[in-house]
Order: sequence, then C-alpha cells, then structure tokens
Amino acid sequence: MPQYKVLPGPEGYLPPPAALMGVELPEEGKALVEGETVSESDAVQKIARKILAAKNPTIFPGPLVLWAWSETACKKAQLVRELAAEAGMKIIPMPDYRPKYPMINPAVEINPNHPNLTIWHNKIDVCVFIGVHCHYANVALKIIRGGTDCYTIALCGEYGHEDAMITLRDVTVAKLEALLAVVRETKRKL
Amino acid sequence: MSKKNPLTEKPLDYMLFKAKREKQFITGSEAVREAVRRANIDIAISYPITPQSETMHLVGDLFAEGYVPEYFRGENEFAVMSQVAGAAMAGARVFTATCGPGTMRAFEVFPMWSGSRLPVVCSFMTRGINAPLTIQPDTIEMAFLLETGMIMLHCETARDIYDFNLAAFIIAEEKDVHIPVGVFMDGFFVTHTRELVDIITEDVCLPKYNPQAAPVPTIDMETPPARLMRDPFVMKSNFVSYVAHASWQQEVRAAAARSKKHIKKYLGELIEIENPAAPTIIVASGTAVSQAREAIKLAKEENIDVGLIKVKVVRPFPKDEIVAALSKAKKIIIPEFNIAGWLAKEVAAVLPDNGRIVATPRVYGGMTMPPEILLEDIKQAVRKQTQ
Amino acid sequence: MSKRITEMCPALNDAMPTEYRELVENGPWLGDKTVKDLGTFKELLEEHPLCAGCNLALSLKIILSSLPNPADTIIVGSTGCSSLGFMQVGIHNIHSLFGNQNAVATGVKRVLSMRFPDKKKDVVVMAGDGATADIGLDMTIHSWFRGEKITTIMFDNELYANTGGQESGMTPAGRVAYMAPLGKKFPKINLFEIAKTSGCHYAVLLTTANTVRLGACVKKAILLARDVGPTYVQIHTPCPTNLKIPPEESIKVAKDSEKERYAFNEYVSEAAKSFLENTGNKK
Repeated sequence: MPQYKVLPGPEGYLPPPAALMGVELPEEGKALVEGETVSESDAVQKIARKILAAKNPTIFPGPLVLWAWSETACKKAQLVRELAAEAGMKIIPMPDYRPKYPMINPAVEINPNHPNLTIWHNKIDVCVFIGVHCHYANVALKIIRGGTDCYTIALCGEYGHEDAMITLRDVTVAKLEALLAVVRETKRKL
Repeated sequence: MSKKNPLTEKPLDYMLFKAKREKQFITGSEAVREAVRRANIDIAISYPITPQSETMHLVGDLFAEGYVPEYFRGENEFAVMSQVAGAAMAGARVFTATCGPGTMRAFEVFPMWSGSRLPVVCSFMTRGINAPLTIQPDTIEMAFLLETGMIMLHCETARDIYDFNLAAFIIAEEKDVHIPVGVFMDGFFVTHTRELVDIITEDVCLPKYNPQAAPVPTIDMETPPARLMRDPFVMKSNFVSYVAHASWQQEVRAAAARSKKHIKKYLGELIEIENPAAPTIIVASGTAVSQAREAIKLAKEENIDVGLIKVKVVRPFPKDEIVAALSKAKKIIIPEFNIAGWLAKEVAAVLPDNGRIVATPRVYGGMTMPPEILLEDIKQAVRKQTQ
Repeated sequence: MSKRITEMCPALNDAMPTEYRELVENGPWLGDKTVKDLGTFKELLEEHPLCAGCNLALSLKIILSSLPNPADTIIVGSTGCSSLGFMQVGIHNIHSLFGNQNAVATGVKRVLSMRFPDKKKDVVVMAGDGATADIGLDMTIHSWFRGEKITTIMFDNELYANTGGQESGMTPAGRVAYMAPLGKKFPKINLFEIAKTSGCHYAVLLTTANTVRLGACVKKAILLARDVGPTYVQIHTPCPTNLKIPPEESIKVAKDSEKERYAFNEYVSEAAKSFLENTGNKK
C-alpha cells in the first residue's frame, strides 16, 4: 500500500481518517510531517518555516490553555501569546466544544464541529491547534482537510494527531519555549 | 466505607511480563476475578444473568475484601451499562460483565460508550439469546456487537481470560484509543471449567486511571471547559452537522485502529499462527480454537496436514494479518459456535479468492463441537481439494 | 492545585469572545446569584432553540439561577426538548440516551463522591415527563430506592413535545393527543406520591408561575439531596407549541393548573425536616 499523504485539501466529500489509511502516531521523541515520521527537531523547523511563510497564519488555542485550571495552562497560554506575536499569527480561540452553528461568529472564535467556517471566513492558510482535547482536535482536523486548503499543525500534549499535516506530541512548556526560540531564529535568518 | 487497596502500583508490562506468577487451578470466572483484583478499578456494577453471575459475585468479594472501592447491583442491564457510562464520564476506571439476553437488553448503550470515548471494560460470558430461552453457550451476541465501535477480544482459555482482562483496562485507556473493550469468553465452556492459569502472586496492581489525559473532558467541573455537554448534538438538518457526525464516527473507528499497536505490545500479535505452510488452515476464535487443536491432532494421526489461525482480536479486525497468513492456503475451515457465522463472513469479506473458505462446522444453542465432526469437515475439504 | 476552570488564563483573556468574559466577570459561577438577580448578570443559559413562550425554557432559566453551587454542579439530562438547551449551559452536563438519566447520574454521583471526598459535588437530573415517568421510570424510581443523593427535576409538559405531541403517562386522562386519538384512557401518573413512598426526602409539585418559589424549592431540593437523600421536583411546564397556547398566555395556563392538578404541594421527610432545622434553612 502506498504511503498515504496527509496534505492540505480540499480532499473531498468525506475523506478517510489518516489512522485508517495506515498513518501511525509518532513514537516518543518523534513527530509527523504529512503522514511521515520525522525527528522532532525537523518538525519544529518545518513548523517555524510554515507559519512564517504563511499569508494569514492563525493559532487556535483550545480550552486546555484558555481556562486557568492549572499553572501549566497559564504558562502555556503565555507562550501561545508570545508565539503568536513573534510569528505574526492571529489568535482565534476555541473556548469550548458546543456546536454554535449558525450562531457562530467566525471572526472571533472557532468550533471543532464546524472549523471550516472560521477558516473560510478569515482566509486562514496555516493554522496551529493547541490545548484542544484530542477527540475534538481530530474531528476538527479532518473536517478542515476535507473542506479547506488550510495547512494544519497540531501541538499536542498527548500522543499527537495523524490528521494534521504536522504534529508534535508531548508538548510541554519547555517544548513550546523551544519552538518559540526556533521561530525567533528562523525569523532572524529570513 | 471502602477499604484501602493493599496492592502496589506497577505498569502493565511489568504485570504481564515480569511479575512472579504461580499456577493455580481455577475457573474462567475466577480468572476474571484475579484480573480485576489487580486492575485497581474504582467501581464495578453488577446485574445477575447466567452464566455471567458468578463473575460479578466474585468481583463483589473483591469489594468486600477492599480491592474494589465501590460496587453495587443495578436494576437491569440497560441501567447498569448507563451507570457504568456515568461512572466513566466522571473519571473512573469501571468494570462490568453481562451476556446473551443482558447484552441485548443493554444494546443501545454500547455504541454510546464508543461514541462518548469511554474506556469501559466489559466482559461477556457469551450465551444464546431468546426465543426460545436458553442459558447455554453460543457466540451469537458477538455478531450484533461487531459495529458498536468497541474493541473486541475473544478468549480461548482461562489464561487468555486473565491476561486479556488485565490488559483491557490499559488498552482501553490509552490516550489515543480511549474506547470500550469487550472481553469475550464462551459461557460455561471456559467460565465454568477449571484449568491451570499462571496467576501473578506479587502484591502488585495497575496504576490508577488518569482521567486528565483523556481525549475528552471528564465530567467533574474540574476539567475545562466548564461549558460542556457530553456529548453535544450535531443533528441540525444541514451539511455542516452531517459532516461533524460523520467525522466523529470516523474518529471512533480511528481510535480502534490505533489500539492495534498497544494490543501487540501487551498481548502479542492480533492473530496466532501455527503451521502456516499447511494447505488446509482452520481460522477460529474463542473455544472453537481449542476444538480445532484437538481436530488437528486427530488429522495428524491420519497424515493430514492442517494449520491454525487463532483470531484473538475481532475488532479492530486483523485484516492484513489474516490475508497474509492465508495467502498460500488451499482450503480455509472456519468452525463457529453460532448460527450467523460471523467470523466466516468477516474473513470472506477481506480475503481475495474467498471460494477457499469452508464455513463449517457450525453449532449453536449450546451444542458442543466434537473434534470428530471438525475432522470430518477437514477430510471432506481435503478430498474436494485433491479432486 | 486550586480549581479555576471558571477563570481565564490572563495571557489570553483579551482574545476571548465577549460572552465568555461576561460569564467569568459577572455570571453564576461566582456563586452569588439568585432568581431575584435575573436580568443583572450573564446567565448560564442564554441562547437556546426552544420555542417562544416555552415554560420549560423559563423553568430552566430559573433553575440555573438557583443552583446553590453552580461551579461544582453536574447536570444529567435526557433526550427531548430540554436537552436542546443543555448544550449551551455553562456547566458540565451529560446527555447520553433517552430515559437513562437517573442511572447515568448514579454513576456520576458515586464516582465524584469517591474522587472528591472533601468537596460537595451536586448532581442534578433534569428531564421531561416522558424520560422520567415513562421510558426511564424504572431508573428514576430505583435511584430513589437506592437512596442516591441526587435531585430529580421533571419538566412536565404532559406530552412528548419534541416528537410532535404524543400522549405520555403524565398526560391527564381524556386528553386527545397523537397516539391517543380517542383521548387518554388512564389517569396522569402520580409520580409525586410515588416519590414520597420510594425514598425521596423531599418532593414538590409546582408550576413556573411563581418563579421565586420555584427557585427556592429547587435550591432546597439540591441542598437536601447533598446531605440527606434523593429529592424530587415536578414542574408543570405547559408546551405552547403542541397545546396551541399563544406564547404570551403560556404562564397563565401554568398558573391556572395550580387551582386543580398542580396545586402547590410539598413533602419533607422527618430526616429532611431536622436537617433544615439544624442548618437554619427552614424556608
């Protein structure tokens, strides 16, 4: 079976989940780029280049970093803010998971059940998910791949996401700081 | 007031591969008890039905002894499976068991468990279903459960029952899986017969379940977001809603696919293959595997070469593994303890050239499967093959 | 770790939509709001898809403003009109299936009592008459028999509203409805009396017409469930859509029923009475 590539869409009416096409989540210390396992540092470099080259990059912080349920959450929120500032990314939050269609205001929020509306409305070409519970992130990432041409990046605190074009796993505060440093460095070289 | 669990926490790979074990002559039901004793569960909920009842009596003993902090009898299987759902949503590791008519009574709940990403472990002591009433072994309920989204493990022996039940909790709770695991054992045939089982003798148990790592928020008002429905409706009459529901369903199937690597890590390959070069291969699951082993011995005495594939994991179905293992087989015999022949259908659906399948013998209603009738079917298949 | 799921991370506060900031800054999560404050704070339920004049929506608004401790309250609902609003409610709530609400709530309550022995986690069931008294009746009553410390609230619109107005067990005798084309052949189920004899320590029969009393009774029911045992609140919530009541008259229909089958009725067990006396929470 040829390796299934996880690429920007629109992939079609109802694309398959990458996990059913043979894409496996990365082992510890590894990451996925477009369905292939790579080293984490390669993936971080690629993320930095992708968001810096984008026309309208946007970060979608989810409930796990928006709500002050732990010290770690607040630290990550701070780093999301810094990362967005450094990379010139817009911040559009996903405050919770309730479907809000047709009441959603796609200019100010995103919802996992219809994330394509926010992507279309804001013409987002590269997006970054962080702090979204894995189930909802996967649902959203697949809908985005199906209906939009947005390049998706998932910074996951757990095992990562096959349905994103790039995914890091076990994203801690330290890893976010490292990503921020690479973005700074890459920007400096541009 | 619950007692303190006297066991020390150890990871599953330690429990399965390193902990000291000792042979004990026990029943399948007792093997479930011994697995649950070391599973560090938070709550078990029971309801009587033959041949399951004994298992949940034994889990009740664990509650009395302090290995299980909370335990009660619910009012019927639909209620029990719903109580189990509530417990899991609130962040507990939970165990229950049922079978046959109880499975059917509870049926609406099983796809809900999967859709809600609940890592419930449920044992099924398979039994026939009405009408007419029977309490005897029959694996027909598995045919109905195939599309509920749950992971399905089928035990051949009491040793399988012990290992599969213990591993089921950790496989179910893996962050990228987090869906229910059904552990199936053929009622009476393995639940009420004794065999030697290697039981862990050290005072160890699995680590506690960590609901904070779950792929969905726990219902406890401690996990963000506070504004949360488990699980939200995506049922408006528009494309946006249809796609959301479809994508949700796909994610549940994806979760089952991800479980493969965890199952392999803890329980070995999804199928076990013996004598793969034989021209005739039996594919079986559950106690049909044991009957196949006996029939293969009889065949050997008559110089007939027969191989065996034991299907341990029914969902996610080990499609690639089965296709590869059967690539050279001339005849494939699939014996089953149910009238539907669900395993034969599953294999036929994935196999190129499935005219090789001989979907016999098939017994049900509590009937046993004497190795001699299996041998007859083997001989007949071989005769046809050489004609 | 201090619990702050009802506060925002400061670094992203300004990125949040206004409605969430209002909820944090002036909503019921702070725990200081009552029915009398309605209109002055950001409610747990604002937008909902329920019909104009819906008494269920009104009672839901009142209940959500009367929770004694919303930041530690879990709601379990069921399928039906009521569940359509819950998605938008600003606290953890469950919809799993139709009719199993008291069973799900049992599991939730048992586990939260174990996981958080030092906290009071209130579990409140809210479901319609079909869910509570028909399809889920065994689970409703068995949760009372077992003495589960949960509050069961029934929105009684006396029919299956969400499926288009079919007869339910709570429909009064004689009324014509879908699936009862010649009129209902048996009387309205007296779940209030059943509650009294099935283990509830508090049961109350009332309507949406007196909002302050409704709020006070809900609060009392939840506090008693927390410490004494099961409680039951049955609210008449006439459905303007299926009963063809003009929306502006729907509260009057509820009010009128207080003269007959919905006369205010409150039952308090001896244990509940002494608890209320000891805590100075009589009324």
